[in-house]
Amino acid sequence: MARLAEAHGLFGVMTGAGDPRTAITAAVYASTATDFTRVIVRVLLGQEQPVTIAEELAVLDNVNNGRTVVLADTGDLSEADAVDEIAVLREALGNRPLQHESPRWKVPAGLPANVTAPKAIAVTPKPAQLEIPFWLTGGAAGEVAKPSHLAVLARDAKAASVERSVQPAIAAITGTLEEDRETVIAWAAAGATHLLLELPEGAQHEAALAMISRYLAPEVAMPNFPRVMSTSKVPLAWPGDGRG
Amino acid sequence: MRFGVGLFSLQCTAMQPRHWTGAYRDMRELASLIEELGYDELWLSEHHFFYDGYCPALLPAAASVLSVTERLRVGTGMLLLPMYDPARLAAVATDLAERSGGRLDLGVGMGYRDVEFDGHGVSRKQRLPRMVSGLEVLERAEAAGGPPIWMGAQLVDPVKRAGRRGHPILFSAALPFERCRTLTQVWEEGWAESRRSLAEKPALGALRNIWLTEDRKEREAARDWVRASYVQYAGLGWTLPAVGDHQQQDYAEETDKAIADTVETTITGSADECIRQLQQFDEIGIKHIAFRLILDGEPRRALESQLRRLSDLVLPRLRDKVPA
Repeated sequence: MARLAEAHGLFGVMTGAGDPRTAITAAVYASTATDFTRVIVRVLLGQEQPVTIAEELAVLDNVNNGRTVVLADTGDLSEADAVDEIAVLREALGNRPLQHESPRWKVPAGLPANVTAPKAIAVTPKPAQLEIPFWLTGGAAGEVAKPSHLAVLARDAKAASVERSVQPAIAAITGTLEEDRETVIAWAAAGATHLLLELPEGAQHEAALAMISRYLAPEVAMPNFPRVMSTSKVPLAWPGDGRG
Repeated sequence: MRFGVGLFSLQCTAMQPRHWTGAYRDMRELASLIEELGYDELWLSEHHFFYDGYCPALLPAAASVLSVTERLRVGTGMLLLPMYDPARLAAVATDLAERSGGRLDLGVGMGYRDVEFDGHGVSRKQRLPRMVSGLEVLERAEAAGGPPIWMGAQLVDPVKRAGRRGHPILFSAALPFERCRTLTQVWEEGWAESRRSLAEKPALGALRNIWLTEDRKEREAARDWVRASYVQYAGLGWTLPAVGDHQQQDYAEETDKAIADTVETTITGSADECIRQLQQFDEIGIKHIAFRLILDGEPRRALESQLRRLSDLVLPRLRDKVPA
């Protein structure tokens, strides 16, 4: 799927829709199948010590040459705990020594038995990109957005903000061209800049992605898109290569 | 016998600087070459919070290799189990084993650096109980189709425990052959106590520093790359305690001596000489040999040349004698 998305010029693919615990290794697979497309990895907060998650994300970002985007899912955490856990993750992935103390996390822990441990640690390797983008989703995402200054993955047009330079959103498509055109046009008008599309259940991937890359993405790539550019006859394939 | 290559630790050291992204790309390219040359296994290594980016997350690193290979097994040598949530670890490892057609070997060890425990919020005092309870979770996962468990241990008690639990050991390359023999006997005692059937008995493994050459200058260079690699352990503060008549190797306090002793474990010489020494391991039940060829200061062309040489001159002869 990741390879197919890249072949169709789409900006990214998302992993972690199934068991969130396997999202990062799934993202590694998506990364090595591609060269350019972003890999949006859904990280369910509260499932593991955040330093461990930060280390895994740092490795992922080096595997994919800095193409990682984290979709932090607040899961069952309260607003305060989610804010704190995201802070630990981002500090760990930053380029300063990590020393974090809050009611939820103290890193390093300063446990008496760990006698030679220093008062700060450096999580390494550092990500390949200067800063891994974090987007938010989950029950507490709206509340977490303000103190953490992060974008929420919008699920309805009212939640999108035209003030953000990057406003991610997610929407389902039906496979019906007219309906799906209306969907992406509405999202663009609402201010979404990066729209993740959920394919209809049982959709044939090649056909679905062809519809997105030929009709839906061009539709919102410029104002007043001349539709003849996507509705005219597809150029002939080189004889024998099976494209059409 | 089966042959592997290690240890991939993805470091960018003071002596051999490079970009971390390049280290991960090099590993994938080398994995494809290692597979093409007929090796069976690739082994990764884990540490945390070290200046050079020593790989802290082995399952994502393993995934990157497994995703670009088709036959090669990938082992974690060793993942520091007490620092992880074992249920999540088991879920990720099982998923990776399924994705790769069962090519993941999950090697686990306890760890020894205070900073690594403290950074993960774990008391070093808890490492043994966390190791034992973590193993129980991983063993249940293994029984349900998860990856086979290996253990990293160099001392009598943990080696015997591994034998009792039925897990193979991958011995450190720093252990001289005689110490491997002593510990293999200890593992056998543990295995005997387990009363498992002979059919279940796994073969043991060992990392080995090796450089096949009859050229004096090349031999000197290779031994110096081994030396430089073990300087890392001085920085990490590793100590290999004494076992019976076998001396302690303290890389932190007796750096020069420990490193010099380790360099002496390096198998060098002609193909016949390398084979003679490797056969000693075969004879004591160590059937997996991971060539420890990823060395600090070593140019990639030297590594590739050595991989080809061992593949051409050593692997076929040992495989013929004792088919894997």
